[in-house]
Amino acid sequence: MNKILLFSRNYGILIITILLFLALAITTDGFATPRNMRNLLDQQSTILIAASFMTIAIIAGNFDVSVSSIFVAAPLFALTVENSTGNAFLAVAVAVLIGLSMGAFNGIIVTRIKVNSFIGTLATSFMFFGAGFLISERSLMRPEGEIYQQIARTRFLGITSAFWIALVVVIIAWILLSKTRFGRNVYATGGNREAARLAGVNVDHVQAVTFVMLGAAAALAGVINSSRSISAQPSDDFSFVFAVLTAVIVGGTSIAGGKGAIWRTVTAAFFLAFMTNGFNLNQIDPIWQRIIEGIVILIAVSIDAWTQRRPG
Amino acid sequence: MPQNVQEIAPLLTLSRVSKRFGETQALSEIEVMFQAGKCHALVGENGAGKSTLGKILLGVHQPDQGEILLEGTSVSLSSPAEGGKLGLVGIAQELSLLPERSVVDNIALGREITNGPLVNTKKTRQQVLEVMRQFDMYLEPDILVGELPVAEQQKVEILRALSRDAKLIVFDEPTARLATHEASQLLQLIKSLAENGKAVIYVSHFLEEVLEISDTITVLRNGEHVRTNPTNKETRDSLIIAMTGQDLQHQYPQLPKLKNTDTPILKVKNLSRKNEFENISFEIRPGEIVGLAGLVGSGRSELAHAIYGSTMPDTGQIEFCGEAFVRTGVEHSIMSGIALIPEARRTQGLVLGRSILENTSLPYLARLSSWLGLNKAQELSEVNKYCSNTQVKHAGLHMDIDSLSGGNQQKILFARAAMGAPKMLIADEPTRGVDIGAKRSIYDLIADMASKGEAVLLISSEIEEILGMCHRALVMSRGQIVAELSGRQLTKKAVMKAAFSGV
Repeated sequence: MNKILLFSRNYGILIITILLFLALAITTDGFATPRNMRNLLDQQSTILIAASFMTIAIIAGNFDVSVSSIFVAAPLFALTVENSTGNAFLAVAVAVLIGLSMGAFNGIIVTRIKVNSFIGTLATSFMFFGAGFLISERSLMRPEGEIYQQIARTRFLGITSAFWIALVVVIIAWILLSKTRFGRNVYATGGNREAARLAGVNVDHVQAVTFVMLGAAAALAGVINSSRSISAQPSDDFSFVFAVLTAVIVGGTSIAGGKGAIWRTVTAAFFLAFMTNGFNLNQIDPIWQRIIEGIVILIAVSIDAWTQRRPG
Repeated sequence: MPQNVQEIAPLLTLSRVSKRFGETQALSEIEVMFQAGKCHALVGENGAGKSTLGKILLGVHQPDQGEILLEGTSVSLSSPAEGGKLGLVGIAQELSLLPERSVVDNIALGREITNGPLVNTKKTRQQVLEVMRQFDMYLEPDILVGELPVAEQQKVEILRALSRDAKLIVFDEPTARLATHEASQLLQLIKSLAENGKAVIYVSHFLEEVLEISDTITVLRNGEHVRTNPTNKETRDSLIIAMTGQDLQHQYPQLPKLKNTDTPILKVKNLSRKNEFENISFEIRPGEIVGLAGLVGSGRSELAHAIYGSTMPDTGQIEFCGEAFVRTGVEHSIMSGIALIPEARRTQGLVLGRSILENTSLPYLARLSSWLGLNKAQELSEVNKYCSNTQVKHAGLHMDIDSLSGGNQQKILFARAAMGAPKMLIADEPTRGVDIGAKRSIYDLIADMASKGEAVLLISSEIEEILGMCHRALVMSRGQIVAELSGRQLTKKAVMKAAFSGV
């Protein structure tokens, strides 16, 4: 009995996701079709890329709200390069480099100047959004060549390259977190910063690197999004980071740091995607969708709070 | 205050009280009586059930079986609030004060005198001052509690209890965080509370304190009641035997012999760091255990951190293994062969929520990694080896570190230190909060490291430990080394005298 309880506590999100998939597959026409699944995988790619590295940053003990602004600004830099040089690969490289630098800036603000990560990245968000308006001269941008739009839209085994790229990114994040020294240091830093420091972990460096990697991941997600929609426009829309955070938190990664896993985030991203997809296929009023989504997030964080409280 | 000292009828009686936590029987069929006007001590090893018993009296835990009788009538304490209403209050190790509010506000919290919805500040303040006067415990009423030292904060908690007409006050390890002179003041205060007719229950590890202030002592072992005796029938040795259930063994191991020819491993010259310590110079030779004694706050741990490289001194030199030691940070110190077992095991030592394995190997991941990532097989075999060398009792290296007892957690920190094959070990209060059996094995580990030629700097507030474990002792007071004692000069009296010299 105890074992079942422990198993369901550890793998609850996986069990619920599978149950939801089965329930929708049985009840809802058009859900378990290859076409619907291919669409779901394609739609989840940008969230998966950013959420994997958001998971790492949160385990290391920080929050990053600037993911939205990098997601919006980086493709504008990419398209500026693409429009003037015609080289799509150079454009992607520049966008990722911009993301890296923005992440590094966040890292410096949080680890050197010791600004609380939530507040610090909220402030840098406005700067990065602003950079997007500047570089695009406040207008919608489109790629000039054919190659840029193929970045996310090339099909391989029937599935878009957007998803294949996301898969590679997720695997890299998973290996980093669970198979390397860096991953161990991330858990130790988020779990007990002082103990990690006294054990010789360069905690500032570890936390800064999580921001740098997350910045690059957010930029890549932005590029894929713009390639998919064949356009990019400046905005100050925070919604992307909330979608990313929802996946991380519903997956069970603790916002207190030190606890969590990439597979949890990936599973939760699909749980949320199945839910929305199920709603749409059953033509449920979008207003109710929101309310139910909010309840699901509350339940997830309540379970987290509840397990924290229980001894042993 | 009415003098209830003569009263014989018990204030509170526990009758066949039992409590289980999961697999552990924390208390079984405990029968004990507490009298008003008496200081009643509960002693036992870690896990003996003394804190659980204290918490049952306060309504924090509820017994599974048995009865609690308050002045002869059965009561059920379903929460601390309920206990508080009946006059049963506790002073815990972790204080429950509001640091950003004043002394008066803290004492009156929840009992403010009001006019309708508004607090009558003046009357409330008078009521608090009246309690202070009555028990002769004066604190500046308007100072913020967070600005007071820990000892004074405890007084605020005690005053809060007294202002609620407490009949029975449970003190759970109240001196654990205090310096020696603060502790002795608190003990006087506790004694006077009993003399004023309160029933005082005193839970402590420190047998000297217990023998000094209590009237009655109850010994618990593995959740069972061993015996309750008047204090004058017990001695330190009789208590240790009752607590451990074993004959008194030698408390300390044989120390390795020193060779005078060895050159020092560590040479510290004129080390200073502002507001922490000044002009510190000393040496440690291979195989030597040097004690660092002194009051809490005398700069001992700060010095340890400066040598270890987790802080940087302002001036002064350190020579390590005959070479000037340029510290660039903790990682470099560990690589050079210095290990630190920090003072606070749970906040500075361990990453709670992670496994025994990860906690042990944490400083050495670079050595265990290649371009393919972490070599988990090698990690597991090394950690396994060092954990069995230090005799850690565990149910699997992948278990959460929190599944271990305090003593075993401390052994994990020793295993971690040993895994780096250090040349010098700095151990800061390594036996704090571990039970007597585990203490001896920690002493064995320290002696064993010294016999392998490692230099050991042992920081301890327990003078017996300094006397029993060290070749030589340095005593710090107010950031300076005020005495260096060895051989016949190294006595309890000499250490005490030096420790208090600058205060």
